[in-house]
Formats: sequence, C-alpha cells, structure tokens
Amino acid sequence: MAQTNFDRRRINGPEDSFTPIFIEEEDSVWTPGKPRSGRGAGDIRPIFLKPGLINQANGSAYIETEKTKIACAVYGPRQSRNTTYSDKGRLNVEVKFAPFSCKKRRAPMRDAEDRSIAVQIHQALLPSVRLELLPKSTIDIFITIIESDGLEGCIASGAVAASAALADAGIEMLGLVVACSASLVGPEIWLDPTEEESSISSASLIYAGMPALDSVTSVWQTGSTSVQDSIKCMKACQERCRDVHTVVAQALLENAKPT
Amino acid sequence: MMASISKSEKAYIQASLLSSNPLRADGRGLHDYRTVSLETGVAPLANGSARVNFGKAVDEGGGGTEVLAATKLEIEDVKPGEGEEGGRIVCTVTCSPAAYPQLSSNALDELQYDYTTILHQTLSHPSLHPTDLGIIPYKKSWLLNVDLVVLSDAGNIYDALFMSARAALWDTKVPVTRAVQYVPPQSDGARGKTDTEDTMEVEGVGSSSLDTRHMPTASDFELSDYWDEGAPLSGREKWPVCVTLNIHSTAYFLDATLLEEASIPLKLLVVYTFTSPTSSSIQALRLVGPGELQLPQIEKLLQESEPFARQLHTALNTKLKDEDIRRNQKARDRFALRS
Repeated sequence: MAQTNFDRRRINGPEDSFTPIFIEEEDSVWTPGKPRSGRGAGDIRPIFLKPGLINQANGSAYIETEKTKIACAVYGPRQSRNTTYSDKGRLNVEVKFAPFSCKKRRAPMRDAEDRSIAVQIHQALLPSVRLELLPKSTIDIFITIIESDGLEGCIASGAVAASAALADAGIEMLGLVVACSASLVGPEIWLDPTEEESSISSASLIYAGMPALDSVTSVWQTGSTSVQDSIKCMKACQERCRDVHTVVAQALLENAKPT
Repeated sequence: MMASISKSEKAYIQASLLSSNPLRADGRGLHDYRTVSLETGVAPLANGSARVNFGKAVDEGGGGTEVLAATKLEIEDVKPGEGEEGGRIVCTVTCSPAAYPQLSSNALDELQYDYTTILHQTLSHPSLHPTDLGIIPYKKSWLLNVDLVVLSDAGNIYDALFMSARAALWDTKVPVTRAVQYVPPQSDGARGKTDTEDTMEVEGVGSSSLDTRHMPTASDFELSDYWDEGAPLSGREKWPVCVTLNIHSTAYFLDATLLEEASIPLKLLVVYTFTSPTSSSIQALRLVGPGELQLPQIEKLLQESEPFARQLHTALNTKLKDEDIRRNQKARDRFALRS
C-alpha cells in the first residue's frame, strides 16, 4: 500500500482546509400563501420615460422601469423601399437585445426571441397608427433592450416606449398605446411581474390598449387560467393602464414645452 | 393577409356577414366548420403522426387547409444547455413554399417562425407537460419534437395547426424503458447486474449512513420488450384545441376561408384545454390584426367561444378514439382473418 503513515484512529482530513462557500441564501424565496415581496399585488414598478433622447431620429423615447431599460427610435414615415404599391403605410418593428442585457449573454445576432417580441409590439401599436394616411410609406421602429427583467416587462415597456416615440415623431395616431402585464401567482394577480415572479406564476398575460378610447389592441396570454381569471387579469391591467397613460402624457407634455 | 382581394369584393363579403340573415360564400352558417378530415399514423417512422384537412373538396380530392404533424422522440443527456430533468418539448412549424407561392422565402421564414412561436409557447408550457418524458432521473430524458408541415392553406390555419398537433400527440407512443444499474457483488456472490424497480429506490446495498448525498445510482437503461412501440404519452386528454374567432364589428364567425380572412380586421385566437367534462381553462390568448376591441366584447367572446371549443374537443376525441380502434383492434382482426 502506498499510504504507509496512514493512521486509522485519527480523522484524516486534508492538510489545509477552507470554509465552505454557501450559495447565498435568498430570503426572498416565495412560498405559496406569502404576500408579494417589495410591493403590493396590484402595484407596478415606477416608470421613468423621456422622449426625444436620440437626436438623429424623427422621434425617440427611453423608458426605465427598475431593471428594465429600453431605448426606442422611430424613423419615418419615408418612402417604402420595395416597389409594390400599397394604399396603406407599413409599420416595421425591430427589436434587438443588447448582448449584455440578460443574465446569460445573448449572441449579437438576430435570435429567435427578438422577432416574437417585435410581433407582439407590432400588434399592440398597429391599431393606433393611422396608416391609411400614409400610402406607399414605411415607419421604422427600432427598439433596443439595454437591460431586461422578464419578457413580459420588456414587451409592455417596449410598446409604451414605441408609442411615446411615435407621438414624439409627430405621426398621427388615434391614441397613445400603453401596455401592462399580469401574472397569476396562486390565487392572486400580480401586475408587472419581474423575471422571478413570472417564473413562479401559473399564467401570464400582456394587455395593450388605448385608454383614451377604452379599447384593447393586443392580448397575449400563455399558461393555464380559467375564463374568469383571464378576464380579471385583463380588467386589472386596464385599470393600471390608465395610470400609465397619465405618466406617458405628462412626459410628452413636458418634452413638448418650449424651454 | 395572404390573398389579395379587391375593395368591392371585401365590401361584398363584409356586407353579407353583417346582414340580418348572415350569408357566407359557401353557404355555411356563421359558426359552422368546413368538413374536417383526420387520419393518424400517417408517418410510419414517427412516434406519432396525424394529417388534418379542413374543407377538402369531395369530388376533386384536393383543396382545403392541410397540415401534417409528426412527433419524434430523442434521447438527451440532462445537463445545462441541453436536456432538462423530466424531458422537454420543442415545436416547429414548416410552411411548404407550395402553400404560399406568393411569398418570398424571407417572408415565408417569418411566417413559419410566427406559427412556431405560438405553438411552442402554448404546447411546451409547464402546465401541459407530460409526466413520462424522463428516463433516468438527472441523467437522461426524452426530447419530444413536434414537427408540423403546412401543405396548403385555405384559411383557418391556426385551428388546423393545433388540431393536428393534438392528434399527433394523442397518437404518440413513448418506448418503455427500464433503468439499469450495476451493484457490486455481495459476499454471498449474488447477482451482479440488477434491474431496479420502476422507481429508483434500490439504495440499500452497502450504502454508508454517512453518505448524505442522494445520488441516483442508475447508470443506463434498456428498452423493454413490449407488444407495441410503447405506452401512450401520459396526459393526452390535456392537449388543447384552438378556436379562431374572426371578428367583424359586432359579428364573429368561425373557420374563415382565405377570402374571408382577408376581409376582416381582427382575429381572436383562444386555446382551450378540457380536463374534465365541466371545467375548462384557457391555455393561450392572442389578438391578431389591425382592428381593436372593447373589454366587454372580449369577455363576451370568451364566454361564447367556450362551447364551440368544447364541441370541437368532443368531436376530435371521438374521432381519435375511432382511429385508435381502426389502427389497433381492426387491424389485428384483419390480420387474424388473413392467417
């Protein structure tokens, strides 16, 4: 045997020792029945919205809701590049995640999730923009997600920023589009969920609408809910959207004031 | 979206939909579906497959919306960036260029990507996850690929996609596996290789009480001999059905043709799952199109769409059970007759 001076009567530990490193105990681990940590179930994160930060764009907006940070630029209306005639304008939405926007690095190529977010923001905005006034033209909306905290928040905030940027660009709209997300956690409805919160939820819903006209432009839901719960979520979102609408209107007003 | 349509044609379709006695070009009522034909087991190399056709012309043997769906199971290692504990589901939709000859290849890519997104988001949601996609805990699991091919589109593609996916998943058979582990020979020289029971509870043999880690000991698995290709995928009652409500101001109708789709501003996709005869839940909800709605309208539509989805679900279940009998019992009887 190789171990000649091996003493079985002692505890044979390694020569030097280290204190074990524990995975940091997160005291915010949510268990069913506990109330939402940090804010009330119906509260949304505070919104900072600033239109007109990108000078070269026709219109732009920057939105920040705690850990979600999104910049949006609107170019156009300009002549459509493709030659086919259309009597309505085209709304083109492109979403890009910055490579450092998520916990895991996102390769700076067009990846799959970008398009599904762009499609949803497009759907939210489409009914509000008066495209029939802009034949043969295109409006380009470029959205850059600088930091993301949950897909739902990105889509909702992205839609709000894009609508504010469209207003900043002076494009005719029927109303401002605002969006709000909700998650069903246990029996409760938590508005504007973070990434963690939506991961424990049984279903999530994103609602977009024009509070000025009391209309719904987009509803997106995944997960399992009853019809009643789904409607309750939508009602809660609609309620909160009115508050968001005043925030957006205020921000646009302040920006438009001559200094 | 697909078919180009003149303004007068559009006005004609819209006016007839809104008239006090609503009319549709093919004489259907507002809430009638076209003839649906369905066949399972169409792809012999897949673990489950189905073909769905909406509105096939009886005399011509063609036409209609046709979707082919097939599921394939693959074995994956459970590790970061690959397999997940308990298996995973990946849905993909491919659109045949023959179904959309007017689209450029770029536009086709985007279209099939959009279809993929809604199917994948809905079917791979944890609330629908089947329980039997694991093989060895923390080591190996099944990857369930659900692949759909749109062969032709004559309207109402979403309902056809969800219906074919449901039929293919219903038809899916998971090979029966048995975990195998090596147990060192004991002093009495007992058997060396032991099959674990169905659950992995063979812990006892010589394990020290100081070993607090609960490591699964099974290292490999074998396919047990089974009379069929495997056991049906669990929870197959749960797979959802989709109902697309085509909304034109106050009226709505089901199962739109391409021309009807092009003349309405808004579609509401509602995906239902029926776990028991009385209860239902919504698995997905999408609003598609440039139109807008009021919240009370949505509420009404959701409540009214539930019976339609239930009818669809019941009819589909009946047909799928018929198919099971046709492919197993009747096939066996015919085989017995021949020999």
